[in-house]
Amino acid sequence: MNHLAPALKSDPKSFMARLKSPRTQETIWSTLFVLPMVVMILLFTVYPNYRSVVIAFYNWSGFGKAEQFVGFRHFVDLIKDPWFWNAFRHSLQYTVVLVPVQLGLALILAVVLNNPRLRLRTFYRTLYFLPYVCNAAISAVVFNMLFRSFTKPLSALFGINPPVNPIGSAQLAMWTVIVFGIWASFGINFVMFLSAIQSVPTDLYDAARVDGANWLQEIIHVTLPSIRPLATVMIFFATLGSLGVFTEVLVLTGGGPYYASDVVQLYIYSKAFGISGSMGGSISTGNMGFASAASLVMNLLVLGVTGIFYLARRKKEN
Amino acid sequence: MTSTSVLPKNFGRYSFNSAQFIRLMINVTLLVIGFLDVFPFLWMFGTSFKTNAEYFTQGLSPFPGGAWQFQNYITAWEKANFSQYFVNSVIISAGSTLYILFFGTLAAFAIAVLRPPFEKFLVGTIALLMFLPHGYTIIPLFEIVKLLHLNNSLLGVIVVQSATSITFYTMIIYGFMRTIPKELDEAAVIDGANAWQRYLHVALPLSAPVLSTVGLLRFMGSWNDFFMPLVLTLGNDKLRPLAVGMQAFYSAHSTSWTLVATGASISLVPIILIYIFMQRYFIEAFAGAMKG
Repeated sequence: MNHLAPALKSDPKSFMARLKSPRTQETIWSTLFVLPMVVMILLFTVYPNYRSVVIAFYNWSGFGKAEQFVGFRHFVDLIKDPWFWNAFRHSLQYTVVLVPVQLGLALILAVVLNNPRLRLRTFYRTLYFLPYVCNAAISAVVFNMLFRSFTKPLSALFGINPPVNPIGSAQLAMWTVIVFGIWASFGINFVMFLSAIQSVPTDLYDAARVDGANWLQEIIHVTLPSIRPLATVMIFFATLGSLGVFTEVLVLTGGGPYYASDVVQLYIYSKAFGISGSMGGSISTGNMGFASAASLVMNLLVLGVTGIFYLARRKKEN
Repeated sequence: MTSTSVLPKNFGRYSFNSAQFIRLMINVTLLVIGFLDVFPFLWMFGTSFKTNAEYFTQGLSPFPGGAWQFQNYITAWEKANFSQYFVNSVIISAGSTLYILFFGTLAAFAIAVLRPPFEKFLVGTIALLMFLPHGYTIIPLFEIVKLLHLNNSLLGVIVVQSATSITFYTMIIYGFMRTIPKELDEAAVIDGANAWQRYLHVALPLSAPVLSTVGLLRFMGSWNDFFMPLVLTLGNDKLRPLAVGMQAFYSAHSTSWTLVATGASISLVPIILIYIFMQRYFIEAFAGAMKG
């Protein structure tokens, strides 16, 4: 609304006239209309980000005022805490394994199910999207029950001898979480790839066929380049989402056994509210200050990943 | 696939054709994957009708050995507040959907159709904020909810869920509203409509397709959210939505296996049924959002 300012100075009459002009009226209306959203963004996105920076320098249990200023101590403690890096390593492992496997699988199945001669396409599509429709926290409860109660038959089914409990073993717990993560959110990536492939113009395929391309060449030279922009966005969001993995771990393993599947978001949660583990863990007072410091460090690490991603993409475009 | 043409015409006429074999293998693989997607839910639903003894004797079979224990549903319903959780989930998801549909369309209309001088600045800022990682600011969020006296109410969950996701939905609606033909809006202006009337009678009805997509996306997003409601309802059982209530129930009754399965079924079966009957709309909504 900076164009109002000079009018105000020069002549009050022309200011009133301008105020009544349709263009100014529209600006006033639009300001009014975006106001609720802007207030929400300020209150629930901008302020919390600012505030978590401030809290990170205090000791604070979450009740009353945060008065004890501790400077950078939380940051030093955090960086020295091997459990934080343990959790960070798991978040990274989750992301580095899940993103390529899940997206690769989704892409392959989307290509296969795009074949119009394949019968039962709708049927398969419906099944594959099903886990995404269901709340991951509840699905994880079902998997937790299966793993806890039926270690023996499940091991036998997959030919594992002696039987291993996939969530009770320190070596397997994190891998089980990853497999569950792939299972739970595979559907959305599959559907997005499928719709992207279906919207590739058919004349591109016709042209390729005229040039004598076989089905594999069609996929490599027509399908893949056409869906690359979408794939980039999907990789980005999958990476962000995976680095923030929480629900799957909390419900499936609670971060255990003995922190073997602890992830950063769970680490922050337990430090903030003083709850360790999900299944009836011990409760002590949390330190919001320390948890905020951990959030901030993780936020910076994630922003770093975002930055690398952005730069890599720009370099490719140039 | 086209590889059929490589083979001689009479190849395998009386025996197994290699192309047929490949097709069979593909179908078997697809079926196995589909089975893995469905099996946990079948087992869950079947187990909700088993007795505690059958839970172990029936193992991985989704069928109860003897009579179906409908009693489990009554017990679960009484033991945990599943009716309350269900109502909470519906209120939160419906509330958040309406919230986003109203404030999101209002903001999108303002920037896309009224096109104020700050359009570019606002769109740029929103796009930038979308890339900020979410979920790491839960502590100040918790604090501000308290400050606004929204803690201990479902409204707090609705507001936080909606406010932290509104940028994403506004951008989708904005992208759609930019494609509305200008002439329709201009006609309304000539007829003397003010901005509110242009929003309500022109832009909103014309945006119906994107509104159903955004509505479904938000409803599902809210229904499946776990982290925000978990933190915002810590220590208040009456406010828990299904996912959080289920988690608490499992922590408290982790060996009442069949009851846990019953609770999970109460939570999931309605949404699965709605999905099966409306699967085309679900998949189109999710696929359509990415085109925005």
